[in-house]
Amino acid sequence: MKGIYILGGYPDRGRFVQSMRAVAEAGADFIEVGIPFNDPVADGPVIAGAAMETANSGITVEEILEDMESCRRSGVRLFAMTYCNIIYRYGIARFSERCRGLLEGVILADLPNRMHSFFYERGLDLPIIPFVTLESRGDDIVSASYSPGSFVYFIGLRGITGATADFESTEMTEQVVRVRQHTGKRVVIGFGIKNGDDARRALALADGFVVGTEAVRRQGDLPALREYLEGLLQTVPAGDH
Amino acid sequence: MRAHNGFYGEYGGQFVTETLVPALDRLEEEFLNFLRSDEDRERLDGYMRDYAGRPTPVYFAENISKKYGFDLYLKREDLLHTGAHKINNTIGQALLARFMGKGRVIAETGAGQHGVATATAAALFGLRCTVYMGRTDAERQLPNVRRMKLLGAQVSVVEIGQMTLKDAVSAAYRDWVASVQDTHYIIGSAIGPHPFPEIVAHFQSVIGDESRVFFSRRGGLPDAVIACVGGGSNSIGMFRGFLDDRGVELVGVEAGGRSPLPGDNAASIGCGIRGIFQGCLSYVIQNGTFQIEDVHSVSAGLDYAGTGPEHAHLHDTGRVRYTSVDDAAALTAFHELTRLEGIIPALESSHAVGYALRQAESLAGKTVLVNLSGRGDKDMDIIDAMTGGES
Ligand SMILES: Cc1ncc(COP(=O)(O)O)c(C=O)c1O
Repeated sequence: MKGIYILGGYPDRGRFVQSMRAVAEAGADFIEVGIPFNDPVADGPVIAGAAMETANSGITVEEILEDMESCRRSGVRLFAMTYCNIIYRYGIARFSERCRGLLEGVILADLPNRMHSFFYERGLDLPIIPFVTLESRGDDIVSASYSPGSFVYFIGLRGITGATADFESTEMTEQVVRVRQHTGKRVVIGFGIKNGDDARRALALADGFVVGTEAVRRQGDLPALREYLEGLLQTVPAGDH
Repeated sequence: MRAHNGFYGEYGGQFVTETLVPALDRLEEEFLNFLRSDEDRERLDGYMRDYAGRPTPVYFAENISKKYGFDLYLKREDLLHTGAHKINNTIGQALLARFMGKGRVIAETGAGQHGVATATAAALFGLRCTVYMGRTDAERQLPNVRRMKLLGAQVSVVEIGQMTLKDAVSAAYRDWVASVQDTHYIIGSAIGPHPFPEIVAHFQSVIGDESRVFFSRRGGLPDAVIACVGGGSNSIGMFRGFLDDRGVELVGVEAGGRSPLPGDNAASIGCGIRGIFQGCLSYVIQNGTFQIEDVHSVSAGLDYAGTGPEHAHLHDTGRVRYTSVDDAAALTAFHELTRLEGIIPALESSHAVGYALRQAESLAGKTVLVNLSGRGDKDMDIIDAMTGGES
């Protein structure tokens, strides 16, 4: 499962749509579309800077969802990644209704697994992807297995997007093994994957990866984005789907 | 605890990245141990008494009372070590950090008072300390930046967004997800994910407890109790002493800034709507595209788009009435208190005083308690700028 994170509406709607198409054409299995929020606490300077700029530009959630719909034909699987306030304010049930058939799930950076019920109880009918981190305890890992999400989002570093994952650390490899043992879910490594090398190592260890910062960095320069994606996605073996 | 499963009514919760959940659980466990341990509580009381200067007096402000026609009492948190109520919380949380074996603390600060109080507790307990402060605030509250540095803290100036309290809080969270193994985040107000609002309110509730004892001994509770509300720590600490006394009117005063227009004030309850912001569900000042709105207040400590979840709940239940006082009225109150009583208040606290002065007519003949949360030494540059140096 090779995933790419693209920031919705950045640097403008046209280039956002073109970026999504480029990702689909380059052979990604899924796209995580970031819906910008202007307090992006889980993000490092590249994504946070782009998100704050876009969030403050006046773009609406509706516009981003419309742009995502225009990419539906490509067959790539779509997830939305955002912060709780965006969906809470849109209306949780309304968002769910609006995104039925469009999204395979949502990833909420500021919603820990134990708070998923807050959204489900208020009418969310889309799976929320659970997280496992280096800090997760045995019980946390087991509880992630009860999630309806199609995979576990593994945060393999302590920090924010844009930092670098350490594949030499046994802490990370051991935790991935534990997750696979206890959840039976596919494990996708997010945060800290930068290049083909990281991607290969992620696929050797887990079932997939997500690249964010390095893609967002190139959203304003399509040829550079295409070249980057080619290098990233075509040098790594196809994941099992 | 007043929170149930981390919620006050419908407000509160734990809206943070999964990475922080074990640390929040550990903190809650340590806090509950602390509450159960007579020895630990006595230790904190000892520091509060001998180091911070508790109990603080309740002072009858005779001159203002005479001029305005009601009896004004001031809870003198401004007399505490470091100059504001913030030290009640930082000593408490620094003790929890030590119990958890953490060698480093971080904090956000707006006015710099919480930063100074954290740096002070860190010096006292031998903890490493980093304080995040927006550039705008670092410039307008420069004396506090100097104090933090002298105390051995690293002051990290934040240059994103409006460069005020919201941005400092975000920067502190970003530090904490990376450093959580050896670092405790001493949140400075009754905000953030559970159990922070509960912990901060508990450590600040000494304000209300002492005040209530004072008035009980005197033979009658006040008619009204007033405190300023930023994130809401001094106010919740004061209100908790009187929540069950139905005859006591409780008033929370938010920052009215320049005007009620978006971007011009920081009145989260008055001008905000429900939202999820920096760890909890509460009232948040935000715009039509679900983004956090810019805020403004002359006082850095109130210049924040959110407020604590317990306040949101107390607003909905009607137990506390929330209102606002604008920059100009706060400034007037600042000068009144300074000239008439010889007490220079913090600009934050001046908002609470400002409400009482504005309401003089409806308060006529009544007994009014205002929480004087801090002193105004830090505000000289702002005062000079606002008055053209003619104060
Ligand atoms: C003296 C003083 N009062 C009040 C506040 C506002 O914070 P809170 O609402 O948490 O009491 C601050 C914050 O910096 C402060 O320094």
